[in-house]
Amino acid sequence: MVKQPNIINYLEAGLRAASVRRAVLANNLANTETPGYRRHDVQFEQQLAQALKSSGPVDLDALRPHIIQPMNTPVGPNGNDVNLHTEIGELIKNDGTYKTYLRLLAKTYRQMEIAIGTK
Amino acid sequence: MDVNSVSSPIDIAISGMRAEWQRMSIVSNNIANTKTTRNASGEPKPYCRQDIVLSTSADSLGGISSVEVVTDTSTDFKRVYIEGHPDADEHGFVLMPNVDLPVEMMNMISASRAYQANVAVLKRYQDIVEVTLELLK
Repeated sequence: MVKQPNIINYLEAGLRAASVRRAVLANNLANTETPGYRRHDVQFEQQLAQALKSSGPVDLDALRPHIIQPMNTPVGPNGNDVNLHTEIGELIKNDGTYKTYLRLLAKTYRQMEIAIGTK
Repeated sequence: MDVNSVSSPIDIAISGMRAEWQRMSIVSNNIANTKTTRNASGEPKPYCRQDIVLSTSADSLGGISSVEVVTDTSTDFKRVYIEGHPDADEHGFVLMPNVDLPVEMMNMISASRAYQANVAVLKRYQDIVEVTLELLK
């Protein structure tokens, strides 16, 4: 029996995916000049959306972020498809997501502190 | 129009940055080839300057979707008298590329300014997102 995840579980899963994506994008940036390198990306949100659509509790442990190679960007003369600008854009978007999840998590914990009266 | 159909400002600004970056490559290629009198296979054919044509994305607020490199055939090649040049005709005239340095420098300035403008949009957007996240404090 899978327990229905609470907001903290969801935020944790999102944070994990965002930090994995950050590492993957950093790896792409490191390989901007590597001949034959094709960029990697992380798939998580689509799977989460699918799991949320289906009935029954969402099993977040089964929803690990997947590292994929999209293979849909134009390849340059050295067989490399990493574009500096695209990667930086993705990094900015990913950082925004990470920050949002983190702030929400902090907010949730603060509300708990208020509830138990430690502050 | 549905608000959700608008792309993220980050994607729009990045598409502008990519396009202007490509324009800068084209301009530097033109400048590098100001005096090129032969083509890639070594035939005496002067370099023809290139330009880019941008097209907007299908959904009206999605930035730039494609960048096409076009060859400028409307500008004539320059005929320069250089005696003893291997590519000169029987009268000593050599056909030089149709690259005009002042024009290229102007394109370079406009490309880098347009790039900076896109970066400014990106930075401002990040600041705004930061302000929104302040609401969660």
